[in-house]
Amino acid sequence: MAETALARPGRTTRRVRVVTSAVIVTAVALAVLVVPPLAQLDQQAVDLANKLDPPSLAHLFGTDDVGRDLLLRCVYGLRVSLLVGLVAALTATVIGTAIGALAGAFGGWADRIVMRVVDALSSIPHLLLGIFIVAMFRPGVWPVIVSVALTHWISTARIVRSEVLSLRSRPFIDAAVSGGASRTRVIVRHLLPGVLPQAGLAAVLMVPHAMWHESALSFLGLGLPSHQASLGNLVQSARGSLLAGDWWPTLFPGLFLIIPTLALAGLAGAWRDRINPRRKSELML
Amino acid sequence: MTAEPPVLDVRDLSVRFRMRGGRDIAAVTDARFSVAPGECLALVGESGCGKSVLASALLGLLPANAATTGSALLGGDTDLLTAGERTLARTVRGRRIGLVPQSPAAHLTPVRTVRAQLEESLRELTGARGSELPKAAAAAAARASFPEDHLDRYPHELSGGLAQRAATALALIGDAPLLLADEPTTGLDRDLVERTVDELRRHTDEGRALLIITHDLAAAERIADRVAVMYAGRIVEIADAETFFGAPGPRHPYAKGLLDALPEREFTPIPGTPPELGALPEGCAFADRCAYADARCTGERPAFTAGLACHHGPTGRAHSPSKESADA
Amino acid sequence: MLEMTRITAGYDRRDPVVRDVSLHVGAGEAVGLLGPSGCGKSTLAKVAALLHRPDAGTMTLDGTVIRGWRHRAPREQRTAVGVVFQQPRLSADPRLSLRELIAQPLRSTGRRRDVPERVAELAPLVGLSDELLERRPHAVSDGQLQRACLARALVLRPRLLICDEMTAMLDASTTAALVAVVERYRAASGAALLAVGHDRVLLERWCDRTVRWDERDTEKAPAGPVTAGGGLRPPAAPR
Repeated sequence: MAETALARPGRTTRRVRVVTSAVIVTAVALAVLVVPPLAQLDQQAVDLANKLDPPSLAHLFGTDDVGRDLLLRCVYGLRVSLLVGLVAALTATVIGTAIGALAGAFGGWADRIVMRVVDALSSIPHLLLGIFIVAMFRPGVWPVIVSVALTHWISTARIVRSEVLSLRSRPFIDAAVSGGASRTRVIVRHLLPGVLPQAGLAAVLMVPHAMWHESALSFLGLGLPSHQASLGNLVQSARGSLLAGDWWPTLFPGLFLIIPTLALAGLAGAWRDRINPRRKSELML
Repeated sequence: MTAEPPVLDVRDLSVRFRMRGGRDIAAVTDARFSVAPGECLALVGESGCGKSVLASALLGLLPANAATTGSALLGGDTDLLTAGERTLARTVRGRRIGLVPQSPAAHLTPVRTVRAQLEESLRELTGARGSELPKAAAAAAARASFPEDHLDRYPHELSGGLAQRAATALALIGDAPLLLADEPTTGLDRDLVERTVDELRRHTDEGRALLIITHDLAAAERIADRVAVMYAGRIVEIADAETFFGAPGPRHPYAKGLLDALPEREFTPIPGTPPELGALPEGCAFADRCAYADARCTGERPAFTAGLACHHGPTGRAHSPSKESADA
Repeated sequence: MLEMTRITAGYDRRDPVVRDVSLHVGAGEAVGLLGPSGCGKSTLAKVAALLHRPDAGTMTLDGTVIRGWRHRAPREQRTAVGVVFQQPRLSADPRLSLRELIAQPLRSTGRRRDVPERVAELAPLVGLSDELLERRPHAVSDGQLQRACLARALVLRPRLLICDEMTAMLDASTTAALVAVVERYRAASGAALLAVGHDRVLLERWCDRTVRWDERDTEKAPAGPVTAGGGLRPPAAPR
């Protein structure tokens, strides 16, 4: 009965959601990977004659206040935001998993110290801590990644630690110890594999979060240098024109942030359903 | 049994699960039995034989991919299999069928006292209000021998036995004519098993019908008037408890094997393991493990007649392997 | 074989689950430890299996005084004791096939070469078909999984087998089958057995000698006054 997951009500809706999410994520990946090198277009091309043009056939998303094509700017912006989000989330997950797994597996003093540090760090708002970290460097991509990674590993560490703790007390770990398994073997062969799906899920869920974080920093003027197209920068520089009634420079970058992050979260949700152990045992006759 | 009409009359009940990939799992096939007022029927069998699915079917709690056929008449008028969820929720569960759960500790809400839960059920099921409630709650507790001074405790403060009584008290509130007990003794110590079972017996003697589903044969022997043995989704034997556990003993070779496996009897296992419900053999599902099996057993499925589904049934219960092979 | 003297153990030093318990299992002997659920007999079984360090007391295994538990115990000591737990679902790594489950101890002790041979030997003994061996725990029944767990406990040929409520979740026939497997192994190897459970009829039928939790092993205890109060939770005695 390897594949006995039951049909549950709402399965069609779920499938539609997953497929939509997957299509959007694929489209986004293609757009940011393929379009810039192929298009040979200069996203920085200034065209002062056509500044703040509303959407038209020539410029599907319109142009910004110095006449740059917004569609192109959005694609480049998404590229940068996505890169920052992915690298930051991956770094945060690696840090969080390592710290959480060690704290959980060793327990005792090591665990207590690590968890107090985690508690202390999580009592400071993420954004504040992030601002503090970026402020120490010159603006650029790497400070933003470091800032996001260093503020986001905490939740992963918590998840992984609690997961390791719950696995550690399971009799199958006792059975492994009794069967002669060394400490390293127990961690590597029995604890970590059990935790990785959760950690992977946390990583995927973190990407949208990290993208928003990057955008927030950029919006505040603390993230990427303002000439570099990132979604946060685009929204930030469009503030002035929005007040003048020109909606497109704000709307499109905003949508470019919201839709891909929702799609990613949708995929992550489907994954969570998959690894949810309850589903596997739903029909144990 | 008396001439009274049965409280529950199950006719040819089958449950199929449709699996991904188009496979079907025959969890219950052609179950036929009835339970009369004041009678206790024990449904016994190994875990995985389909007896819990049968209970879920009676309560309308099957998952969406299950299909049922046949009928299960409650009180002669309501077919549990076709009644809608509304009917089941509003008039059947709690009111006409009381459920004694498998793990009482999990069945009780952990953050509310026993009294609060009893009173809630009383309000819901009997319409008791205001000042009557405390008295009614005490009475409900007393019916299940739950000590009144423990009413204000939370479930985690109760011992296993008291939690079981609290759950039984809840099941009895609606004054349902049918009690359904699904493995009520799993994980309990022997003394506690006997106490729980004796109390259930007492409620039966007050005129309720009791269907108890269990793999604990000792518990079944202590409580049941009749025994139904289930194997691989089918009921293979229904017999009077007295003749089943005493002399002359069970008629179906599987039932005999189950009893012989008890440590107080032969303590010998039935060879082999039960077949998968998704891949049942053509003939008798037990033929693989049966010492009496012959060509007819593997070729055709035995019909369920006179409370027995075995090709060798009509030849009498005193059959022995040597005699059977001589016949064949 | 196993000598436990005045063992006190638990998960909170101020409120131990096991107090001052002594227990003796002779070479090749089958001892049943009988007690109600929640009395601490499982904790004692974990101490005996070198899986839980006691707060006080001494224990010898085959004449050697035990100085460390879990990873602090030498591998040879740990693997001399095989354990089967009550709930097969929790005692099996859900990601491993039954074949891998049985093979784990061999792999842990660097004897991966023996895997095919030992698994092929044990599987028919515990009644698992080749097809079942390839399945993962969620695709088999409790009884089938417990058969695999018993095979895993036997794969390193332990000199002492500890069965902690091994059959509490199982039906009569599977119970009898598993007990028969254990007895066949003991007859062939001369291993000792500590069977922990709450079913008096079963333990008395199975074991040479049955010890009730509240009376423990007073007559065999080499030292001093054993037991405080007995029963579920003896009153906290100042020490």
